[in-house]
Parts: sequence; structure tokens; C-alpha cells
Amino acid sequence: MNLFLKRSMMAAALICAIWTPPNASAQPSWLQAEAIQAVLQGAAPIQPGVRLDIPAVTQDGSSVQVSIDVDSPMTPDDFIDRIHLFALDNPSPELIELSLTPLAGKASFTTRIRLDQSQTVVALARRSSGEWLAAARDVRVTVSGCLSREGTYRSEQLMQARVRVPGQGRQGAPMEVRTLIQHPMETGLREGPDGAIVPERIIERFEAAIDGEKVLTAHLHRAMAANPYLLFMIAPERSGELAMTWTEDTGVAATERASFEILR
Amino acid sequence: MTMNRNLTRRESLKWMGLAGLGAMTGFPSLSLGGDAPSGHIVVVGGGFGGATAAKYLKRLAPSLDVTLIEPERRYITCPFTNLYLGGVRSFESLWHTFDELRDELGVTVIHDWAKDVDVEGRRIQLSGGESLSWDRLILSPGIDIRWGDLEGYDEAAAELAPHAWKPGAQSRLLRRQLEEMEDGGTFVLVAPDNPFRCPPGPYERVSMVANYLKNHKPKSKILLLDAKDGFSKQGLFMQGWERHYGDMIEWVSRSNDGLVMRVDADHLEVETEFGTIHKADVLNVVPPQKAGFIADRASVTDASGWVPVKPRTFESQLVAGVYVIGDATQAAPMPKSGFVANTQAKVTASAIIADLRGLPPVDPSWANTCYSLITPDWAISIAGVYEVYDELIREVPGSGGISPMDVGSVFRKQEAENARAWYAGIAHDVWGTRSLS
Amino acid sequence: MLKRITIFEQKWLRRAVIGLFAVCAIASVSGCSANAELQEYSAPEPLDAAAEGLSLFERRVEVIAMSCAACHGTDGRKATAIPALAGKPFPVLNALLLAYRNDQMPDATVMPRIAKAYTEEELRAVAEYFANITPGAEE
Repeated sequence: MNLFLKRSMMAAALICAIWTPPNASAQPSWLQAEAIQAVLQGAAPIQPGVRLDIPAVTQDGSSVQVSIDVDSPMTPDDFIDRIHLFALDNPSPELIELSLTPLAGKASFTTRIRLDQSQTVVALARRSSGEWLAAARDVRVTVSGCLSREGTYRSEQLMQARVRVPGQGRQGAPMEVRTLIQHPMETGLREGPDGAIVPERIIERFEAAIDGEKVLTAHLHRAMAANPYLLFMIAPERSGELAMTWTEDTGVAATERASFEILR
Repeated sequence: MTMNRNLTRRESLKWMGLAGLGAMTGFPSLSLGGDAPSGHIVVVGGGFGGATAAKYLKRLAPSLDVTLIEPERRYITCPFTNLYLGGVRSFESLWHTFDELRDELGVTVIHDWAKDVDVEGRRIQLSGGESLSWDRLILSPGIDIRWGDLEGYDEAAAELAPHAWKPGAQSRLLRRQLEEMEDGGTFVLVAPDNPFRCPPGPYERVSMVANYLKNHKPKSKILLLDAKDGFSKQGLFMQGWERHYGDMIEWVSRSNDGLVMRVDADHLEVETEFGTIHKADVLNVVPPQKAGFIADRASVTDASGWVPVKPRTFESQLVAGVYVIGDATQAAPMPKSGFVANTQAKVTASAIIADLRGLPPVDPSWANTCYSLITPDWAISIAGVYEVYDELIREVPGSGGISPMDVGSVFRKQEAENARAWYAGIAHDVWGTRSLS
Repeated sequence: MLKRITIFEQKWLRRAVIGLFAVCAIASVSGCSANAELQEYSAPEPLDAAAEGLSLFERRVEVIAMSCAACHGTDGRKATAIPALAGKPFPVLNALLLAYRNDQMPDATVMPRIAKAYTEEELRAVAEYFANITPGAEE
């Protein structure tokens, strides 16, 4: 038994000791989901080790805001290196996978997802030590009587990006970066006006780097909301330039750059 | 719960007999079965939810002691304030009194603020110093503004950039600002994210403002900055805007940088999520909202700021014996509308009386119809009927929906007439207002 | 009955006639009992049923009927562009509600969207509810 497994078992035992669920031996059913097990590979995650903020009831399943926040010092010795997000009862459960570096300063991001129906949303986060953390939240999706909606995507805006990066920050204080790119995120599940399936066409990758050094990389799946939105943190040591690149599944890419000044 | 959905001839006769009896006594109350229930029901809030609850409690069970607490002697409705803002309806036509409740139905009406609630002692404190005990409490407190959630938007800012989302002085202020605006000015409306009071409200408001500007200040522009990527009856609204107002109204979705993050009321400026500054001549901020203050005092709100309720009765999920109706509740997919508050009040009145008699509550049915005027003669609607299924509220499958897209002006004008008729009908039902037609 | 119908507004009467026609047409095609129901109907004998209390179904119908008041006024007594319901003949109300439910009403606006939420039995009971309210002065 390796050290990681031992640690996670100890952690699990500790959690059980503190918090005894009604049926202490039962694992939550979402933990057994195929998509979750494909990532965890049998590891027992610490729960709830992740703050997962999503409305309990949402009136518009086509764009549901979700925030993930994990306590971590984000130092080279101890940081969160991966975060996965799933919607278990969507046609495909995977939403987004983030790979992070200590340059992010804070293991925290906000995005918008699609929820096909009421279901459980699960976040998994991995410590650089290999240990997994997890949280799950049930979300009820209702299409409100007053909220029928149509698509708002216009083709002339395809791949038009918006970013907001603070021009100035302080060393050691993570700064908030907001990004959005115009894109329909066609799921490949929708029928067009002619009755034929509209082929899948999505932004599949987002990368952020400071002067060539990676901050985060995200793999996006088709259940991300149209016009993919990502709010994340950066904690650079010195002044520089943040480059953000979105890549479509066709290979087409768009890049935005923003420079910032770091005060000591 | 099983229920006999097949009305037999025998039952229908029994029931019709009762109806006849009710009509003869002047009280078409049908719930005469069993012992007359007794108890003191305190209702807080004299709007669409609270006034209706007080009225139907007394109609269904005249033996009940019902007290309504509402600070205003003259209630002003939020529905149709947009018509006032657009200059097509007088402010006075939105005023209603509590005469019917007090004089004809025997409700004790106290004009005061509910200040605090002692849920264990079952007492409510009023600002005037009075304290009342209850057997059942109904809160219909409407909404409060989440001051400070939107940077720069506090109560002082609202005096410069009104919300006008709670009717009264704020509505008059916004109307005055529109009247004083010069031709060629820009009216900016900031619309919030869900959930909020009256989902189609911001869009009807810009329609009515456009109607006023088109007739009086045709060079003006309207900018609608939205925290959402879609809105209620969107296709119908946009079709109507294009037809009647050309390019006067510009809607900016959240994905097009419509989310406002900061308000500078002194300079009538707003800043969006991605840093765009918009300058307004008249700035109308519809801010984030939460359940009315007294819901917090009664400990019935959750972390969202709204009130979770049991779907069948609207009894609070957190405090027994306290019922909450109207905009303050989490009742999705029912929208936060006056119509919904009215039908919630009736279901809850029925449920409380059933409970007092030791009977189970019925399988409830709630309804909603929201009309929105795009011009005084061009209106659109959305209707919905709701039920409890699997212990959750849902829209009855196969029912409800919005006005068709492909109809002409005759249909739209009929809906505009129906909108005014609806207002007269619901004002009759809630406050006994008889002067409207 | 004729005397009662004369108090209807023109539009209301026209719609009612269309509705009746529509229901008859459906009945003749589907062989359902709407026609028979119309002929069989007669004013009910009041029963002293108060002591028996109301069934769950009756209380549900009461809740449904109360929701109608949000447009038609309390007890359906408000006459505007939206017609009053109080005291209108049962066959007319019932035929109209069924016609709305079955999309047999040309130019209808919200009523088909609402009527589809209820069973035929519920709609019939709602029609009875309003037919049995003494009209009095419309307000």
C-alpha cells in the first residue's frame, strides 16, 4: 500500500469518525457513476473537500452558473493540479477538466454549464500529492413559465472574445480574470430547422499562460453553455503579459493578450 | 395520495346543492363540511398574496378570526406601473383600499409594519408597539432589494437612479425623470439575473418607455443591459420592438457584455463585467432581490435569501405553522407574479382550513397569466397551470404557453384589451375594487 | 334560459354558439356523451349535504374555480372584455370549456392554454360551480 492510499484511507476514516451518515457504510451513489470512476480509478475522495456553488433550483438549464473553490496554499509543494466537473444525467456527463499550476494562486473558478434535467453535479479536485477531494450538489431544473427562451448566438460574432484582466496587482494577492468567447457550443444533439442534426462544433480547449508559463489549461465538453465563460485567478510574481487562447474542434484558434503590472 | 377524479352524478348533486345553499346565504363558500374551524390567522402583507389570503380565509370559513397587517392604507400595485411610466395610465388607477376586507368580510385590518416574529411564542410584533398571537401565520412580504450586492447601488443611489421595482415614490421619480429627459437622450435599464419579481417586467417597461419616447422624444434611445442571455417571451418582445419601435431599443445580453457590475449614480454611469462604461440620461436599475424583510425575522429564508416551502400547502419548510406565499417563495417553475400570488393564497387558505378541520390538503392547482403590453394596443401573454407531482411543483404537461408568433394586430389588440380586463378582474378579486373596467 | 342568454355580450354569445357547435361536432364524431349530457342536464335539486362535508375532488374543484377569479373577478362576477361567469347556463359554460380544451375555439387567446391543464370532469364541475352562483349585479 503506497503512502497516498494510506493517507486517503486515514482521511476517509477521519471523516467517517466526525460525520456519520444515516447509513455509514453506504457511499453516495454518484461516486459509483462510470464517469466519476473513470477519473478516480477506485480512489476514495475526501468529501466534502470542495466548495461547489450552484443554485439548488435553476429556471434556465441552458446556462447555469457554477463556482468551484478548493482550499489550497497553491505552492509548488502543495497545490491543486486538476479539477473535473460532471453533470451525471446529461447525455454526456463530462463538462470541463482544468489543469492548474501554482501560478493560479487560488484553486477557484466560475463557469456556466448546460443541465438537461434535474440531476447531481459533481466536482472532483486532485491535490498535487495525488489525493482526491469531491463534492456533489443536487440541482433542480425547471423551465419557468415566464422564461421560455431562444438562442442568442449570431454567426458574425463567432470566436469574438472578451477578457478582463486587472491592469495592476500586488505580489501575493491573486487577481481575478474574466473571459468569454462567442460560440454556440453546438452539442451535435440538436435538430436544425431542416430536421437534420446540427453537427457538433465546440470550443474544446482554453489555455492561459503568463509570459510562456502555463497558468491553466481547460478541456471543454459539449455540455458547457454557449459562449463559454471562465473566471479564474492568477498570482504572478512580477509584471508581465497574460495570453489566453481558445481552440475550436476545427482547429481554429483565437488569442487575447493583456499586460499587467505587479507592485511589490 | 389517491383522489377520485370521476365526479359521480351523486357527488356533483351534493356539491351543486351546497353551491346553491351558499349562494342563497350570500356566501358562495363551499367548504361547509365538518365543524366550523376556529382560530386566529394573522396575514402579513396586503398585496396580491396577503389580501387574497385574508379574503378567501373569511369566505371559506367565516368563523375564523383573520387579521391583516399592511402599512399602507392605499395599496399600489406593481403590475401596470409600467403603463403609468409609459404615460398610458394614471397612477391613481393603481390604488386599492382595504374597505371590502374590513367592512364586508370582517377582516381586522391593522395599518402598521410587522417588525419582528417570535416563532416559538407564536407572536408578531408591530412597529407601533402592538403584539399579536396567532394560530397560523401567513407571510406575503413580497421582495426587498439586496442593497450593496451591486457595487455602488444603495438607497441613496436609488434616489438618483431609481429602481421603481416597488411602486410608490420610486415610480413617480422615474416618471418625472422621463418627462424631464431631453429628446435624443438615452434611457438605460439594468435587468437582473434570475430569480426576480416579474420576469417579463423589465421588457414590458422598456416597451412602455419606448411608447412614451416615440410619441414625445422620438430621437431618444433605449439601452437594456441584461444579466441574462435570454428572457421571458423574448421572441415575442423582440418581434414587437422591431415592428413598433424600429431600432430604438437595444438589448445587450450577458454574453455580449450586458452584466452590470458597478453603478455610479452621481454620474448616471454603469460599468459592465468586461469594463464597458455606459452613460445614461435616465438610469433605471432593477437590482438583485430577496424575500421581504419579515421573512428573515421569521427565520423562514434560506441561504438564497428566498423562502423554501412545502409544495402542497406553502407551509415553511423551516418553521411549522408559518405559511409563506407570493414573490418571497421559492416556487419555481411558478414565476414571481401577482397572479401566482393570488392563486397561491387560495390554495394556502384552503390548506389551512383543511388542516384546522383535520382534513388532508387537496391536490392543488395554481394558475398564472402574465400579459405584457408592447404598445397600448399590442400585447402578448404567457399562461401556465401548475400542480404537485412527485412532491414537487411542475407545470401541468400539455398546458400553458405563450402567445403565437404568427398572428396579426387583431389578436394582439384582443390581448391588450384582455390585459386591462385582467387587471380589473384581479383588483376585484383581491381588494374588491369595483371601479375598473 | 333564453332570457339568461340575452344578458350575454355579443362576442360572448357568438363564442358560446361556436363552442356549442364545436362540442356537438366532436360528440358526433367521437361518439362521446357530450350531446347526451346537454340534453340530460336539468337544474339540480338542492340537497342538505352540508353535514356530509366535501370530498377531496370537490375541494380541488373549489380551488380550481377560485383561480378563475383572478381574471373573471370574485365568483366570476366581473364583466369586462373578459366575461363574467356567475350564473351563466351550465351547458354553455361546459361546452365552452371543453371547446377551449379541444382547440375548437377560433381566435381564443389564453383559455385553451389553461383549459388543457384539467380533465373533462374537472371542467364540468367548474362549469357547475359558476352556473350555480346567483348572478346578482355584475360588478
